[in-house]
Amino acid sequence: MPQVKIIAKNFMDMVASLTARDLDNLYQNPFICEAILRSLPPLAKKYVLQMLYIEGSVLAKSMEEWVLADGFTKHRVAIDRLVQLRIFSEEKKKETSYRLNPTFQTNLQKHLIYGGALPREPMPSNVTVRLPTLEELEAYALGQWECFLLQLISSAQAEKPTNFSSSMMKVFQRGLLIQRDKESPRLSESGFQFLLMDTSAQLWYIIREYISNSQERGVNQADLISFLLELSFHVAGEAYNVNTLSELQKNMIKDFADLGLVKLQQGRKDSWFIPTKLATSLSISLTDSSSRKEGFVVVETNFRIYAYSTSKLHCEILRLFSRIEYQLPNLIVGAITKESLYNAFDNGITADQIIAFLQQNAHPRVAERVPSVPENVCDQIRLWESDLNRVEATPAYFYDEFPSRDVFEAACDYARDRSGLLWEDSKKMRLAVKAETHTHMREFLRGQS
Amino acid sequence: MGHGDKGRPSKKTKFSTKDDHSSKFMEDDDNYYNEDAEGDFRDGENLEKKRDFSKLELKPDHLNRPLWACADGRIFLETFSSLYKQAYDFLIAIAEPVCRPESMHEYNLTPHSLYAAVSVGLETETIISVLNKLSKTKLPKEMIDFIHSSTSNYGKVKLVLKKNRYFVESPFPEVLKKLLKDEVISKARITSEAANYGDGFTISKAAGEIATAHDGLLNEAELAAVAEEKETHAFEVDPSQVENVKQRCLPNALNYPMLEEYDFRNDTVNPDLNMELKPHAQPRPYQEKSLSKMFGNGRARSGIIVLPCGAGKSLVGVSAASRIKKSCLCLATNAVSVDQWAFQFKLWSTIQDDQICRFTSDSKERFRGNAGVVVTTYNMVAFGGKRSEESEKIIEEIRNREWGLLLMDEVHVVPAHMFRKVISITKSHCKLGLTATLVREDERITDLNFLIGPKLYEANWLDLVKGGFIANVQCAEVWCPMTKEFFAEYLKKENSKKKQALYVMNPNKFRACEFLIRFHEQQRGDKIIVFADNLFALTEYAMKLRKPMIYGATSHVERTKILEAFKCSRDVNTVFLSKVGDNSIDIPEANVIIQISSHAGSRRQEAQRLGRILRAKGKLEDRMAGGKEEYNAFFYSLVSTDTQEMFYSTKRQQFLIDQGYSFKVITSLPPADTGADLSYHRLDDQLALLSKVLSAGDDAVGLEQLEEDADDIALHKARRSMGSMSAMSGANGMVYMEYSTGQKRYAGQGQLKSNKPKDPAKRHYLFKKRFG
Repeated sequence: MPQVKIIAKNFMDMVASLTARDLDNLYQNPFICEAILRSLPPLAKKYVLQMLYIEGSVLAKSMEEWVLADGFTKHRVAIDRLVQLRIFSEEKKKETSYRLNPTFQTNLQKHLIYGGALPREPMPSNVTVRLPTLEELEAYALGQWECFLLQLISSAQAEKPTNFSSSMMKVFQRGLLIQRDKESPRLSESGFQFLLMDTSAQLWYIIREYISNSQERGVNQADLISFLLELSFHVAGEAYNVNTLSELQKNMIKDFADLGLVKLQQGRKDSWFIPTKLATSLSISLTDSSSRKEGFVVVETNFRIYAYSTSKLHCEILRLFSRIEYQLPNLIVGAITKESLYNAFDNGITADQIIAFLQQNAHPRVAERVPSVPENVCDQIRLWESDLNRVEATPAYFYDEFPSRDVFEAACDYARDRSGLLWEDSKKMRLAVKAETHTHMREFLRGQS
Repeated sequence: MGHGDKGRPSKKTKFSTKDDHSSKFMEDDDNYYNEDAEGDFRDGENLEKKRDFSKLELKPDHLNRPLWACADGRIFLETFSSLYKQAYDFLIAIAEPVCRPESMHEYNLTPHSLYAAVSVGLETETIISVLNKLSKTKLPKEMIDFIHSSTSNYGKVKLVLKKNRYFVESPFPEVLKKLLKDEVISKARITSEAANYGDGFTISKAAGEIATAHDGLLNEAELAAVAEEKETHAFEVDPSQVENVKQRCLPNALNYPMLEEYDFRNDTVNPDLNMELKPHAQPRPYQEKSLSKMFGNGRARSGIIVLPCGAGKSLVGVSAASRIKKSCLCLATNAVSVDQWAFQFKLWSTIQDDQICRFTSDSKERFRGNAGVVVTTYNMVAFGGKRSEESEKIIEEIRNREWGLLLMDEVHVVPAHMFRKVISITKSHCKLGLTATLVREDERITDLNFLIGPKLYEANWLDLVKGGFIANVQCAEVWCPMTKEFFAEYLKKENSKKKQALYVMNPNKFRACEFLIRFHEQQRGDKIIVFADNLFALTEYAMKLRKPMIYGATSHVERTKILEAFKCSRDVNTVFLSKVGDNSIDIPEANVIIQISSHAGSRRQEAQRLGRILRAKGKLEDRMAGGKEEYNAFFYSLVSTDTQEMFYSTKRQQFLIDQGYSFKVITSLPPADTGADLSYHRLDDQLALLSKVLSAGDDAVGLEQLEEDADDIALHKARRSMGSMSAMSGANGMVYMEYSTGQKRYAGQGQLKSNKPKDPAKRHYLFKKRFG
């Protein structure tokens, strides 16, 4: 099994992997300090606040006394995290002690006292004539995102090309698509899994690739991260003047528009960008599922799927494991069949992923129903999957024509002792051993004769 | 199932039908089977191509409208729409239901379904405008054209029975002229000698008639003269050719489907029968609805009403008879159900005992007076051989009488040629067919359209379950892994004829069956029916478990005795039935079915068997969704894994799945830690059983043959061709034994991680297991 690398856990993991200098730079920005604080585990948050006005370091021992005995693991996790993010710096003289990163400390203090001020204010409404409503903006964001995804999985499907250079696209596709020579690229195992993830997880994956690739484009990772975090503090639906951005950021904002993070609009004199929900929810931890969007899939007990969707992408996703039979203006009708599932299993999609996808995207009509996906359908999907795993192939070596029963039995015993014996037929004196036992077995048999 | 009529007559029936049958039909049949050797696939399954109608224009208020209509005739209906009820009633009238699970129904618009729509009085424009109102999108042009082209001709021609003679009637003489150009129809026409004076069709005013016959048509002047009197033009057809004429008129041929309506109120020729529904007979809403479809315009329409088993079909039949109030001929499939029908008539209606009679090989009664009800079997009527003097007289009476209603039970089981015979022998004004499952593996269902009439009403199973009218059945498929030894034999070529016996006699299956019987008898006090098609297995199981059994050769007296004991005795809680129990034997007490062997991929059999336990039991409020006994009936289908059975079982369940049922898969029965006290626990016993199976003759382990069921043949032929010849070489009687140590179960069907059940507390213990 190839390592599936596409599960992006958290923005903060990414931040934590930055170099010490980059991190220190990052903490120059009070907003980032706040964003980081928000993302911390509860206990870590408490430690930061507790130490916010303590100048100097606190002994690790005395900190340990702050927690009850059974909370010790949590304490360890919190401390590790803080050290990892360089919010705490460890001082080891006689005893270990921790102190708050001074830049972080001052900025957070300032932030607490004066409140945060973004580097730019929303533009007055008399300049920006007609701004999209929040609903329109959300639809736009999803539309952009889908368009991007379609281009990602097959460039031919996309209706309008995005701003991304083909080399950038290739970077995104790396890991999701595989191209055998001369064939058109097809989705790889992780590509399928990627498509079944929810939007925020997908966005994460792309952003991560975008950030980690930034160095090659001559962009500092820390700048990029700080801009992204800053963006998440903007108000969705408000317009912000593009002129307040640095040249670097102006370039980035175009890419973000392609991903649906912001909408760009051009006024008579000025141009502005409008952050969407996708952007403002960036800093929210991924495990937070309260902001789940409404599902669209109804699965019936007769294995039919009805998807209330106009999206081509949804159609492509459903096609991964079902047979699409009808496409209507706002409905996709499909059926889960043994063949379609076997196809999916072949592509490395697991039964659990399919079921999770169906459950996560259950239409509100059936979402309250328990279970939202009929039990017999789930069972059958799993049974079909387990059906495929009934035969296990083990590389083996086959031995026959033993000179005598003694040799045969000795060989059997030898293989059995090394737990390499797969099969024996004592009547005809034949046996099979695991491939890794073969060399020893050969040695052993040489010794016998 | 003609075994109620005793062995001999039915045997003869088999030969006689062959003789009677014109060779043309036989050829037809053969072709049919060859083409459709695999015919029990659902036709849609091979069509892989997707249909893209995403360009259809959505109406702005589409959220409030309940359905989508596709250009190819497929219609999707949201059941959660506020307009669902109205839309459902409408769609069931104009389209064929494909599947009806919980949230979304699918229907197909077909020429036949539109024919049915027109015949219940819907007009082309009404169909289009209502459909348009309900549709979320603009109706595709193709669909509008299709409705126009299929219905423009409908309702123009009628078939009328007057004084024992059949007439084809129409207000449009040009239509009749067109019909007569057809060879079949013109041959079927009877030119009466009395008709020398006119040069046109019979012109009838109201109920009167003028007998004319000539090949010419009305001239212009005459036409103008008759037009204002709203006259109809008619010609007479040969009674024996009626079915052929009707078939020629169907949508797939001349496309002038004939309506059959009976204006029974104005029928003064036939004597009235004095019968009313008793006051306690309260038809349920869906029974009311099906009757209203039949009597919509004050006349009686011919057609088929489809209601699930146990939903009270007989009350619908009796109600129809008491509304028409004319002589009624009621046809059932076997002697037991003849008794049951006679009982139903007496139970629900005020009919006098001497006005109803049974005509079977055992009882030859005759009613007194000039009108009455005769209950008999299809076989008795269609029987072509020599009859006793007494029955010859009765059949002559049936033949000569003009019946007000021909009531036909279980129309799905009767082969088409038998119908033809019955219908050509009996002359009736109105035909009502009743069935629970309008599916046949040989797709002969369309024949019923011209033999009886269009489908008038079809109930939705799930709605009836929700309403508490029929039992809520928990269906389960129990996977029984083959034991190693049985599977080895199963795979051998020389055992190809014993395959079925091997997977049915699979010791694991036997144990699962025994376990289920014990569980339901002892822990729930249930009444259990065990079904086995395979006679060898039936006998083995029943003997080993010491339970009574009924199969084809069981006499009528013995059957009645066993069923009586099953009903009343506390000691008889399980009965083993062969195929004879599939239809119409009414066993209202049973609430558990265990199916150990079944007939290949027959969807109908599966549904019929389920029907045996659908009759609702207990209090209504307990049965309703959320009541304390939400599931009070259980249907287990035991299948041996990795055998043909798995393949068949998927197909068999299709009909029920389309009705919204779901089958839960149970993979380990008896539970892993128990079962030491069940039979065949020891390997020796299993091997003894194996050698018994292998040493039995091929004919002994085969299927029970019931010749009435033509549906069988389609499935048989398909299978027979696959048989291997090696078994004929004399290797049959050889006993092969293989001993090996330890029996390994096939890995991989292990426990499943299951998600949350509906409400674990209400679950049946067995189903609970997997959620622990």
